[in-house]
Amino acid sequence: MMSKLILLIILLPVLSALFTQLLAGSLGRVVARISVAATLLSVILSGVLLWLSLSGYLLDKSISIGSWAIIYFDSLTIVMALVISLISLIVHIYSLRYMAEESGYARFFVLLDLMTASLLMMVAAGDMITLIIAWHFVGVLLYFLLGQDTRNPTAYRYAFWTLITYRIGDLPLVLAAVLLFQAYGTWSLPFIFEQLNNAPNAHSVFGMPLPEVVGILIALAAFARSAQFLLHTWLPYTMDGPTPVSALMHAGIVNAGGFLINRFAPVFANTSDVLQWVFIVGFISAIIGSILMLVQNDIKKSLGYSTMGQMGFMIMECGIGAFSLAIYHLIAHGVFKGTLFLSTGSVINSARKNDGVPQDELYTFVVEKRPARTRKPWLLMAAITLLVPLAILIVSHSFISEDYFQKQGAIILLFFGWITGAQLIFATYRTHAQNLWRLVIISILSFTVVIIGYTFISHAFDVYLYPDAELRDKLFAAASIEKIRFDILAAIITGTIVIGWLVAYYNERNRKGKNPRYVGRLWTMFYALISRELYLTDLYSLLTRTILSTANKLNVWLRWN
Amino acid sequence: MPDIIFLFLVGLFLPLFPLSMVFNALFNRVQHVVLRCVLLIIWPHIALATIHLTEVSIPTWVVAWALITSLLYAIRMLALRSMGQWTSFLATSMWAMLWLTTTDIEQSVQHLYAFGLTTPLVLLAILSAGLEKRFGAAYTDLYGGLAESIPRFAGVLVVVVLAAVATPLFPSFFIMLKLIMEWSVAMPSAMFALLTIWLLWSWAGVRLLQGLIVGSASQGEAADLNLMSCWSYVVVLVALMLSGLYLSVGVL
Repeated sequence: MMSKLILLIILLPVLSALFTQLLAGSLGRVVARISVAATLLSVILSGVLLWLSLSGYLLDKSISIGSWAIIYFDSLTIVMALVISLISLIVHIYSLRYMAEESGYARFFVLLDLMTASLLMMVAAGDMITLIIAWHFVGVLLYFLLGQDTRNPTAYRYAFWTLITYRIGDLPLVLAAVLLFQAYGTWSLPFIFEQLNNAPNAHSVFGMPLPEVVGILIALAAFARSAQFLLHTWLPYTMDGPTPVSALMHAGIVNAGGFLINRFAPVFANTSDVLQWVFIVGFISAIIGSILMLVQNDIKKSLGYSTMGQMGFMIMECGIGAFSLAIYHLIAHGVFKGTLFLSTGSVINSARKNDGVPQDELYTFVVEKRPARTRKPWLLMAAITLLVPLAILIVSHSFISEDYFQKQGAIILLFFGWITGAQLIFATYRTHAQNLWRLVIISILSFTVVIIGYTFISHAFDVYLYPDAELRDKLFAAASIEKIRFDILAAIITGTIVIGWLVAYYNERNRKGKNPRYVGRLWTMFYALISRELYLTDLYSLLTRTILSTANKLNVWLRWN
Repeated sequence: MPDIIFLFLVGLFLPLFPLSMVFNALFNRVQHVVLRCVLLIIWPHIALATIHLTEVSIPTWVVAWALITSLLYAIRMLALRSMGQWTSFLATSMWAMLWLTTTDIEQSVQHLYAFGLTTPLVLLAILSAGLEKRFGAAYTDLYGGLAESIPRFAGVLVVVVLAAVATPLFPSFFIMLKLIMEWSVAMPSAMFALLTIWLLWSWAGVRLLQGLIVGSASQGEAADLNLMSCWSYVVVLVALMLSGLYLSVGVL
């Protein structure tokens, strides 16, 4: 009975798509309500499944229909199924009215249902073939969803960018599947993971251990899906598609990279160098995504780059071995980014009537970049900025695990938390507040609440998604580097942060005048570079034109035969 | 029969470049839709039957040549605007890959593969004729907007093109997986070539669709597919999908 529940969750949107298509002619726009009802039922069933799982009624199980077509429902599947169906339901309900004036209303809901089914199948795939099929379908369906307005060639142009990037990302996944099949003679993921754990180095390919090669391929597939640096250019440009599709894409589909890495956690646990590269790629994507976000003047494009930054952070979390944290992150990001996208229309609409920006000190600080001069002792403020967030982080994390600080990944996370907390206090210090101490205390209290919530929720996720403590430790170990190298790096980063904040406070307090001219010129060059998005889109366009021109020349040369 | 004559003959029907130019020239010369469909259906089977009659072993260099042919036509498809040419180029690119099945796959299965790869192309040839009848030509970027002007036709066209470029659940998808699996051990470079060819097909398929279905309907009234024809296509496509699933049991 329980095992049929997960099948039903996947089948409901498929049946809904079928009935929506068949009844669209006779029911008109009311047909969309079938789609909404089916998605609502999926949400309820996913909730029931999660409740059963949390109550201990469900053990990890799978249903097998043949040599492939295996449905696997572990904790990861159950959590992701609930997230996907919930986000899909919100998008469905929003679209009822949002898409009412658009042509192809029924088609839109059919595609939305099929997309929901594909995403659910992806997270429940218990074998490589089902996973590849679902992975492939998501790309194809997204192409048609983004091109919902068939009269808009621009929407299709950028939908094509998405599709081709996704297809590029499909290929490493196919390759990984084939290599795993050749090694273990099965497509079944639970069986492959079991064999891999028993003898991680039993197979090698291209002169490298199999887990290492498969890990690289899976990471590449995840990078394409989650818009990581060099494979990100499609993401900010897909804004010509309907807003509900943008919401679904940013809140759900791009997160697939984080899911994929989590699904293959047993593979990554047996790698030695892959996670370090995953961290570097995620880190670069997070930085570049965040920088590019800041220079956009289009709210949706800005949100697009914000997603790239967030995805970078999610991939980076995987790279430090904090796999469950990436799932927590993708859920949190899905919820807030979905909300942002679905509210962009009303924000733009109300901004046309009233910009809503108060002409006060906060405005001059945030928008006009005119920080107020404060009179507090800069050294004291710098000390508070550096020590208070660090103390909060250490105390809150020491509650969840005694050996927490022995894990390199955990230390890296602490660095990020530390920088964020310090940035918050520094920003508070620079505002012109009548009662600075009050504002600083409120900031610190907010930071404390966020950190405590984040620490305990992420720990709960960790225990639920990865109940096997050995696997958790193996993941952190796989992400680690040599201790001496890590200690030196940690010391350098700590020194940089401390000196950086001291200099920032000192300059803030003892500002002498304008920056030298060369600094201005450097900033202009940097701005030109990022405003052109590092020239990557130009480079890819040039590459595309070259390939098409070569194809054309070949055709002419061979007389079109 | 001497091997070289045999290879020449087979290379003509299971097209290897430059012999492949014969099929493409013939396909483009023949304008009648029934003849085009017959050509598509029988062409690769002639070669497969000849291979089994003569029982000649296939040298490895032929496999490499077949892959180069397939890759060449997959690249060239990117710059095509004629739907007829697009169909014949894709047929050439796909059939050339059947050489990869001649080493260790049963004869009956090889013929099944040929059917699986060719059936969507036959549908495409029929749709191409439908466009020529409605608009006088089946060219991309010439009229466009089919999704708006003849939505049923456009819907069928989309699914047929997806079936042709080896989208999951259609036979061509499972055949591609099987070939990649088979050659990942014997010749890893073949595996990378196959993946590249697959990617190029997708790219070419999207370009074809965008040139036909996207945009505002610019031409005058054109009759859409009637319900009967539409359901016929649906039945064939569902049957094709089911045969893909059936094939998957045997090949995976």
